[in-house]
Amino acid sequence: MRISDRSEDFLAIVCVSGELDQATVPELRERLSSLLDEGARWLLLDMRELEFIDSSGLGVLIAAARRAGEAGGELTVVCARPNVLRVFDISGTRELLNLRQEEAQARELLAECRQRATAASQAGDSHDPNQP
Amino acid sequence: MTRTSLEVVQLTIPPHPRYLSLARLLVGGLGAQSKLTVEDLDDMKVAVSEAITNAIDHAYEPDAPGEIIIRYRPSEGQLVVEVEDSGSGFDPDKLDTSPPVPDLEGGLGLYLVRELADQVKVESAPGSGTKVIITKRAHG
Repeated sequence: MRISDRSEDFLAIVCVSGELDQATVPELRERLSSLLDEGARWLLLDMRELEFIDSSGLGVLIAAARRAGEAGGELTVVCARPNVLRVFDISGTRELLNLRQEEAQARELLAECRQRATAASQAGDSHDPNQP
Repeated sequence: MTRTSLEVVQLTIPPHPRYLSLARLLVGGLGAQSKLTVEDLDDMKVAVSEAITNAIDHAYEPDAPGEIIIRYRPSEGQLVVEVEDSGSGFDPDKLDTSPPVPDLEGGLGLYLVRELADQVKVESAPGSGTKVIITKRAHG
């Protein structure tokens, strides 16, 4: 498995390729945890080059999505490979993980969520939506 | 339908996740001999990976010695994979077969095995290890 990440505007973009199973999950868990610890809460996980995922991988994504949500942000997953999409579908996690098949769709979703968070913040919410 | 049995291939691994990819690799190679489609093979790779992961997580105490035996039984039109450990075992009647709640981080493994395989049989008893037998038929 290979992981790279970068910041872009308000987004933390994490690219994951290869195979995500119990052997490789610790590395992704650590990377996502570090990003969330550093304040990232609008996460776009680009998994278009991911070749395999099982429930171990799903568990890490679910945990990160929950943490992002608790911080007032959102996590989206971009995935296009049919075998990986099938695991998301069968596990019922497609909606929970805001799965999109195109990166542009994921960016659009996060921008909309952030816009709503900004509006909520202006209405008195304590979260600062301008934080990455 | 009469199935022509091919050889049985056996892989014995320590209970460590670093061997998962090797076990999946054999699913790909032997499943292709059984005429499983690419989609069938992808399903079977997840199912076998989940069964082995369960054995790694639950059969033995952390860092305790032990082994997991994986037997691949390819035949014309289907692949049967057995995942066997000699660990702690459990009462199969107490297995939770209800669909998992998607926002829980655990509990998806066996559900995925059942959904992705054509047939799953779990043989286990407390103190007697566990054998999971997974069958995938060619759907092409």
